[in-house]
Amino acid sequence: MAALQQGLTLFFSLLVEAMPFLVLGVLFSSILWLWVEPEQLLKRLPRHPLGGAVAGAVLGCLLPVCECGNVPVARRLLTQGIPASVAVGFLLGAPTINPVVIWSTWVAFRDQPLLVWGRVGLTLLVAVMVGWVFSVQKDLRPFLQPAVAQMLPLPRSQPLREPALAGVPTGNFLALAGGKTLPLETLGWHTSRLLSRRGRWQMVWVNVLSELRELTGVLILGTAVAAAIQVLTPREVILGLGQGPVTSVVAMLLLGVVVSICSTVDAFFALSFAGSFTTGALLAFLVFGPMVDLKGVSLLLTVFRPRAVLYLFLLAGLFTFVLTLAMNLYL
Amino acid sequence: MNGLDLLAIGAWGLLLLKYWVTGQLAVLVHPNYFPLTVGAGLLLVGLTAWQGWVRWREPGQPQTVAGGQLLPRAWGRLLLLSTAVVGLVVAPRPFNSHLAWESGELLNMTRTLPQPFRPASRPEERSLVDWVRLLHAYPEPDAYQGQKAKVQGFVVHPPQSPANRFFIARFVVTCCAADAYPVGLPVVLTAGEAKTYPADTWLEIQGRMITGEIQGQRRLILQAEKITPIPPPANPYLY
Repeated sequence: MAALQQGLTLFFSLLVEAMPFLVLGVLFSSILWLWVEPEQLLKRLPRHPLGGAVAGAVLGCLLPVCECGNVPVARRLLTQGIPASVAVGFLLGAPTINPVVIWSTWVAFRDQPLLVWGRVGLTLLVAVMVGWVFSVQKDLRPFLQPAVAQMLPLPRSQPLREPALAGVPTGNFLALAGGKTLPLETLGWHTSRLLSRRGRWQMVWVNVLSELRELTGVLILGTAVAAAIQVLTPREVILGLGQGPVTSVVAMLLLGVVVSICSTVDAFFALSFAGSFTTGALLAFLVFGPMVDLKGVSLLLTVFRPRAVLYLFLLAGLFTFVLTLAMNLYL
Repeated sequence: MNGLDLLAIGAWGLLLLKYWVTGQLAVLVHPNYFPLTVGAGLLLVGLTAWQGWVRWREPGQPQTVAGGQLLPRAWGRLLLLSTAVVGLVVAPRPFNSHLAWESGELLNMTRTLPQPFRPASRPEERSLVDWVRLLHAYPEPDAYQGQKAKVQGFVVHPPQSPANRFFIARFVVTCCAADAYPVGLPVVLTAGEAKTYPADTWLEIQGRMITGEIQGQRRLILQAEKITPIPPPANPYLY
């Protein structure tokens, strides 16, 4: 009974903390969908995968949302046709590389600037490397959930604005004047241009509500898992893993995944371990925690297929592990 | 987007506002988050009420957005609505003494308490967390011997502790209840049994600091002179 009550308190506290950020992310996503022309967005992004990944990671400075808020935004960006490297860079980098998080880390670790710079630098490095790896996959569709893949525009070689005439295997089309057709999946922006201002805003609000229904539902499932794991395996079990250069990094990586707190405040949480953990381990928590956490996994599953999510995590986890371990051993 | 969807999302907005109005928000998140939570609650309630009105007045307005979803619609709706109802009915409870003891923090104090602090010059004005911070900064129990103290917290009975001793503890929170961890001091009674104060009872204890040995460690102990039961505070945490 006591465990149930503890679980409920944990569950609702995580949800109450995540809700405002999710609402913010969904708002950004809906406005992006109906008010920003995809081509304008694409024109401004670097073409090279490496540049794209950097751009994606730094995009967080413009959209300061934490890990729950950036999933709807990344999903929207993907359906607007941005390259994989930008989207993955954004997913992994944006929760950390944004003014609010950098400021809170600075406040928490004022006396250890190495941790502040290390957090920003390593996050950028990991996000860019993973984004670069993902950019090898030119057509992202097999990685995405079918629902998202369907909304993806046609590959970049075909002009977006021109109605595509052939070569689209499935889907519905709008018949246009002159016998031309427009595939439905490229609608979004195109239909919304036909609407009045008021109609467009109405679409924004309707989209906010329907994305909220979906993502909050998913977030609730993820949070339930996170709360259950925290009740069943107390934090102390993870922390008991050890204090050595290797085991402390592993313990903090695990802790970052399990605790699932928002990136805007996790610096203060990490600070309370400053006395008993190695610098590399703290950094591992600060870098990996915002990228991957239990309640965020469920949200990511609304974008990617499970296998792609696994790749994403393994890559990010390994890079973080190797980099912070190297720091423990050589710095 | 049908009426039930609006209801489910609106219910979550109501839940956030209910936590705020009843003060239960303090049990869940750090006060820094209050404005964000209240803002989100107002937005959700306002948006669903307005969209409900639009649906009713102008059924011609766009109301659905195409696109498949990971979670079947009915599921999302059901999850939202059921959790919101549970939240509205069940009041969140702060963590209890059992959890405080299980964490092991009360004896080992492995955490450094991050925020800068200025110890009150009058020792009896220090809160429990002030005392623990002070002990972190200058971990020499004898330095505080004889100082007056007045602290508030809940009772923790460790297993195998002498009949006249218990811990007085509180939880510290940095973000939300998910990261709460306990701080506390051992209390020794001059007369009477520790069991007269059941676990989780909130007490205000006045007394003097002494030192003694607990499980082989020299520790600062609060010798109680006056113990007053107090009602559980609306905000159970220290920051």
